[in-house]
Amino acid sequence: MTEQKKTLATTGLRIGRRGLLLGATSLAASRLGMPYIGNAAASEPIKIGMIWAKTGSIVDQAEYLAQGGMLALEQRNNTLLGRPAEIVWLDEPNPQGAQQSAERLVGEQKVVGMVGGALSSFALAISSVAKKAKIPYVAANAATGDLTGKSCNKYTFRLQPPVDVHARILAPYCASIGKKWYLLTASYAFGQDIKRAFTDYITANGGTVVGADEVPVGTPDYSSFILKIRAAKPDVVIGGIAASDLTTFLKQWNELGMKGKIPFAEISVGNTDLWGVGPEAADGLYTITWWYKNPNNSPGEQAMAAAYEKKYGRPAADKAWMGWLGMKSLLDSIEMAKSTEPGAIVQALENWKYRRGDMDIGYRDFDHQMTSRLLVAGIHPKITDKWDYFDVKAELPKTPDDIAKAFGAQADSACKMDTL
Amino acid sequence: MLDMILSQAVNGLVLGFLYVLIAIGLSIIFGMLGIVNFAHGAFFAIGAYLAYALNKEFGWWAALAAPLLTGLIGVVVEMVLIRHLYGKEPLLGLILTFALALLAEAVLRLVFGGAPVPFAAPKFLAGFVEYGPILITKYRMFVLATTVLVLVLFWAFLAYTPYGRIIRAGSRDPEMVGLLGINLPIVFTGVFSIGCLLAGLGGLLAAPLWTITPSMAAGAIMPAFVIVTIGGLGSFLGAIVAGLLVGITTAMTIQFQPEWSGAAMYILMAAILLIRPRGLFGERWERFE
Repeated sequence: MTEQKKTLATTGLRIGRRGLLLGATSLAASRLGMPYIGNAAASEPIKIGMIWAKTGSIVDQAEYLAQGGMLALEQRNNTLLGRPAEIVWLDEPNPQGAQQSAERLVGEQKVVGMVGGALSSFALAISSVAKKAKIPYVAANAATGDLTGKSCNKYTFRLQPPVDVHARILAPYCASIGKKWYLLTASYAFGQDIKRAFTDYITANGGTVVGADEVPVGTPDYSSFILKIRAAKPDVVIGGIAASDLTTFLKQWNELGMKGKIPFAEISVGNTDLWGVGPEAADGLYTITWWYKNPNNSPGEQAMAAAYEKKYGRPAADKAWMGWLGMKSLLDSIEMAKSTEPGAIVQALENWKYRRGDMDIGYRDFDHQMTSRLLVAGIHPKITDKWDYFDVKAELPKTPDDIAKAFGAQADSACKMDTL
Repeated sequence: MLDMILSQAVNGLVLGFLYVLIAIGLSIIFGMLGIVNFAHGAFFAIGAYLAYALNKEFGWWAALAAPLLTGLIGVVVEMVLIRHLYGKEPLLGLILTFALALLAEAVLRLVFGGAPVPFAAPKFLAGFVEYGPILITKYRMFVLATTVLVLVLFWAFLAYTPYGRIIRAGSRDPEMVGLLGINLPIVFTGVFSIGCLLAGLGGLLAAPLWTITPSMAAGAIMPAFVIVTIGGLGSFLGAIVAGLLVGITTAMTIQFQPEWSGAAMYILMAAILLIRPRGLFGERWERFE
């Protein structure tokens, strides 16, 4: 005993018998209590942030994007990593609002990842928060090139092909109609990218741009723009206006007797844009990302479309698919990572693959852009089903090599990817 | 170029008449009741959706009932909510009608969904006419004629009927009108209902031209407020002149500087308010001083 006391004294640690007993009892008590503490943490839900517009001009598309996202979690019985999981959905009324929502999701809700950004300007704002907060973010709808170009970052992944890819696929179709183009594009990133991409294409291929107007978002009346187009007598009108703005334009295009007189073309339109136009006024040549009747849809996509129709009583619009696949890629990656640690999820997202038809789609390492095929579609001459407007002409590019070419090589990318 | 200017000027005038129709109800409600109705755009959207629903179920002619139904909704809203605001702090009215606008949008989204719904003009109004460089669609001519008819009828109602005189007197000195034994609350309910009916009519007439979504109110309420501000709060004639000015200014900006077209009406408003802070036909009203 004396020897033991001496040893403790030399180490500077003095513990009496009572102290030792108290410590042992406390340790035992804490060991007994620990499982409950551990279980409480495990039952705390994993939160996923979702930022889709609840107000504003893109809200009609955002409803489908959100429903698709929620369906992706429901298909997992609202669990992740064996724990309950929930989606926290905030609004994006404008780019500043999108940024604030992302900050709230990260700071207040402690989400482990985010999906959203219905417009390009919103997605760029959210991406900057994702980068700063180091939280994985999937931009499922935005098409501006900057998102996976010069503004790319390690935490941002993008599902929608960028404007340049859509343009490379649609522009040859437009050029085959005629080489005098008129551009009517929205005055923000998406429209400006379209203006640049199509102008570059037609001037490089011996054509001319006979007129180009930038249109404010939310323009209620296009009649004055249409009168200018009519006077310019172009062969084709290239549109770059999104969602309800496109719907309004097409209604007034028909009203002013232009439907069928001058072909109208636009990239990346959604089913909802045309459903709101109505069969009388629907017109145009488009690229679309997904179509619920495509026979090449994977079994998983078919199951999603069936589940969506059962739940909402209408076919799954392309935007529902985009919201679903964007969320699915994030949820799959959390499971793959077996962790909610942001770095691990990012690495899992980089390795995530999904089988569609004869190819695996996924996010590229060097810019986090998803590569996949697009559909080129016109409008049925006679619409008999109120949901079925598109007359799909082709699914392009055909081969994996062509897909890689259309999306551009790493050497051509403006993305300088940072590290975790 | 002269052809294009002429064409755009006529188009701007026609567009202006549509704006006048949207704005006039807002102007009447403010002028008579002193309420700045932020929910005016919501009644516009309700009118469009009712037109869509009636057209879908019963055909185009049934859609003509949409403004009347919007007016009836206005009666209920006035009796339940708005009448408690008379004579109170104007800020209360702003907050309540703003909340009402948000509620109406949410209800429309719940009932009809967020996606746009289709609505086309009747076949007999399809097509357009051309006079030299000027192109006007039959439907827009119909909108113009309807607006002019409504404005004339409403002016005659205010100027030549006993009810019109009561409304005008009540808007200036409600206390005195009340002391004369006139049931002013009923008169005010009627005025609010007429304002909502006109918003609903605007929604019906805009439905074949605009996208019908729950958020379509935003596209109507801003031009309406700009027009009422330019014309002078509560001025009937001011709203007409301002509506036409906004239409022509927007059309001309699109012709020469399209990227400024969204801002053009606000710049016009700022310029006019610098010269005449009460708006073009704004008067000094004792009630609001």
